[in-house]
Amino acid sequence: MVFLGGQALPGNVGRAILGPFADQRAVDTLNHTLGVDRPLLAQYWSWISNFVQGDMGTSYIFRAPVAPFVIDALGNSMKLAAVAFVLVVPIGILGGVVAALNLNRPLDRIISLGGLSVTVLPEFVTGIILILIFGVWLRWLPISAAWPRDAGFFTQLYYLILPSLPLFLVLFGYIARMARSGMIEALDSDYTRTAVLKGLPWRTVIWRHVLRNALLPTITVIATQTGYLIGGLVVIETLFRYQGIGSLIFTAARGKDFPMLESGILTIGIVYAVATLVADFLYSVLNPRIRLGSDQ
Amino acid sequence: MSKNFGILDLIRRNRTPLENHLIDGLVDGRVSRRDFVRHGSLLGLSLPLLGRIGMAAGLGGMPSLARAQGAPGATIRVASSVPAATIDPVTIADAGGLLVMQQVAEFLCVDGPDLVLQPALAESWKPNDNGTVWTFKLRKGVKFHSGGEMKADDVVASIDRLADPANSSNALSVFTGILQKGASKKVDDYTVEFHLDAPNGNFPYMLSSDNYNAVIIPASYKGDYEKSFDGTGPFRIEKYTAKVGASFIRNEDYWGPKALPERTEFTFFTDMQPQILALQGGQVDIINQMPVLAGVALLNDPNVDIISLKSSAHQQLHMRCDEGPLKDARVRRAIALCLDRDKLAAGLMKGRSALGNDSPFAAVYPSTDTSVPQRKQDIAQAKQLMEAAGLGQGFKITLTTERYLEIPEYAQLIQNWVKEIGVQLDLNILDQSGYYGDAVFGKSNWLDSVMGITDYGHRGVPNVYLAAPLKSEGTWNAAHFKNKDYDALATSYIAALDLEAQKADAGKIQKLLLEETPVIFGYFYDYLTATAKGVAGVQPTAMSQLFLDKASKA
Repeated sequence: MVFLGGQALPGNVGRAILGPFADQRAVDTLNHTLGVDRPLLAQYWSWISNFVQGDMGTSYIFRAPVAPFVIDALGNSMKLAAVAFVLVVPIGILGGVVAALNLNRPLDRIISLGGLSVTVLPEFVTGIILILIFGVWLRWLPISAAWPRDAGFFTQLYYLILPSLPLFLVLFGYIARMARSGMIEALDSDYTRTAVLKGLPWRTVIWRHVLRNALLPTITVIATQTGYLIGGLVVIETLFRYQGIGSLIFTAARGKDFPMLESGILTIGIVYAVATLVADFLYSVLNPRIRLGSDQ
Repeated sequence: MSKNFGILDLIRRNRTPLENHLIDGLVDGRVSRRDFVRHGSLLGLSLPLLGRIGMAAGLGGMPSLARAQGAPGATIRVASSVPAATIDPVTIADAGGLLVMQQVAEFLCVDGPDLVLQPALAESWKPNDNGTVWTFKLRKGVKFHSGGEMKADDVVASIDRLADPANSSNALSVFTGILQKGASKKVDDYTVEFHLDAPNGNFPYMLSSDNYNAVIIPASYKGDYEKSFDGTGPFRIEKYTAKVGASFIRNEDYWGPKALPERTEFTFFTDMQPQILALQGGQVDIINQMPVLAGVALLNDPNVDIISLKSSAHQQLHMRCDEGPLKDARVRRAIALCLDRDKLAAGLMKGRSALGNDSPFAAVYPSTDTSVPQRKQDIAQAKQLMEAAGLGQGFKITLTTERYLEIPEYAQLIQNWVKEIGVQLDLNILDQSGYYGDAVFGKSNWLDSVMGITDYGHRGVPNVYLAAPLKSEGTWNAAHFKNKDYDALATSYIAALDLEAQKADAGKIQKLLLEETPVIFGYFYDYLTATAKGVAGVQPTAMSQLFLDKASKA
């Protein structure tokens, strides 16, 4: 589908590389050298037969193997996603829990409304505001997410703080809201009432009975956001000049660089699948009812 | 100052008739000093000699090109657009890639910021009597970074490679009809002759930085440029990472004065906004190319200096001369008369542009005939023309264009202006690949649309603009303009070696194009480079090249 979609885009690879003002003979020669003047099926077959053997092919645009580009970009994307994840998941859940425990009080209103308000702001708006505050005026954080060569773990982390903040803002409201509604439902349930009436301490009730049930929908939400965090950050990657897989796919699509585009999209597909699998696994750990192999 | 005819006669003795005609023009006042320097450099006269002639003609010396030298040893950090494809001198076409290549590789001559050709790897050049053979003398003792000496074989191979249709050469469109494969001939190790298909008075520009592919690299080059980044330039490659950045170090074996900076670092960006933030945040020292609308925030920033170069870059508004209501030249003129060009220059372009007069002859070209009256907004006359064409009620038409620079805003302004004469303009704004399509007739919105706006980059001479978009058989003739008189005039202009002959043809072309108006040239915009305060000695060109060998930081 990606392949056919790519073909529907106007222009061709040779033209994309040489530009609109190049001589048609030069464009034809380049297309022939790259092999993109072959029938579509032949192109697809040669790529897919190599891919299943672990060879992602050669980029049309960069005339170099695709694999290092995709692996580097995926690694970068996962680093940024990890930082954003580590920031937003605990704080988001905590926010939701605190809001639910303070239902309809000012603190709940602040968390719910505040979270929702920043969630609806697009990343390029919050990103630019954050860059202006922390990068240009205060100069506390680097503007670009691309760390210097040979940077250590902490330096890389330092460079990733600013780009992960807009992601935090986008996801915080979402996660907090899911956690809040899960909590409210769980707090209101029969088993919680039973646990309280049983005389269990409040802390135990929350930890063992409420949270465990309340977080199930939140985990599903977090799992679906993992794909976005890794593959869908074109805007953030452009703004912070970060070489992630989102912008890799975006530029490949613009240049009709089919091997790069297809490999990038397949890689993101795999990431989605793995994230969903992990979520299912966590789900079964938290919810004994669907644990595999268990009796009813 | 008085004229010193003794010295002038001495200088004249060794010059060709063509050169002497130019000197006479300066002495008689027919040619301005500025035009004299530009055209003299084209004919291969050295800048010191041009200076001596200027003194002898009583016009004072040439403005000193020497600048106060800054401190050596700096690391200069540049923000530039990301190279869109692999960097290969033969195929390369995008500004980001060209900038990287130009840091290490050099041209035979450089089209400077003032359009004066300056010698680089060639020390001098000369045409034969009719401009069909140009002879270039090469500089001796120039070493490639890989070690060998640059000689005629390398020059012949480099230029032949670009003129060969079997090579995917991006310069093929420049050389077609001018220089064929095999027409570059070695005379000796330091002399090369170029035998042209037809007389060409501006040929040295095609071997200069103006033809951005024409860098001189070793004859042994096999097409893997990113492995070596070989060249003769003042910097050599340190590291290049595709899509991320590049760094360069000073070349201690450089043939000219050694570069001041110890290192240069280029950071690639896919968008303008992050470049502006990076300059404001102190993470880069220079933004190589800054479009005026995107860079408004920096134009009045006290911490930023703007280098503004007059250029011939422009947006062409083509109108189909072969079909629909625009077939009538009166209608095309009427539309051109609706544009308020002063407002375009002052408002849309923030004062960083020169007025266009519906021909490629920008004010920066020495051959432009400035006596041709400037077209101005005149709605009453436009209405009369519409009435005369039988279209007093107006009509509806679509303007197709690309989402690039200020073009969408320009299209909206035109849409508003032409309403006054009853023309309803529907805008169809596409992304660039959608607009250009396959870039051949029948498969391209650019070349097939009834009306469209297309971006054209700067050129040191108007030859390309005069041929491909306007000649009857031109490959970029989106206006489908076919006019034998025009074709003959353009051919005559391109062949002319003499500035006054060029000017005479230019005047006729300008008048013909005002009458026919196949293309509206509304303005020619300046090329802007932004530098942080304290950064000095930076020399951009309007072809998006950046010379950093004299750069320093306070």
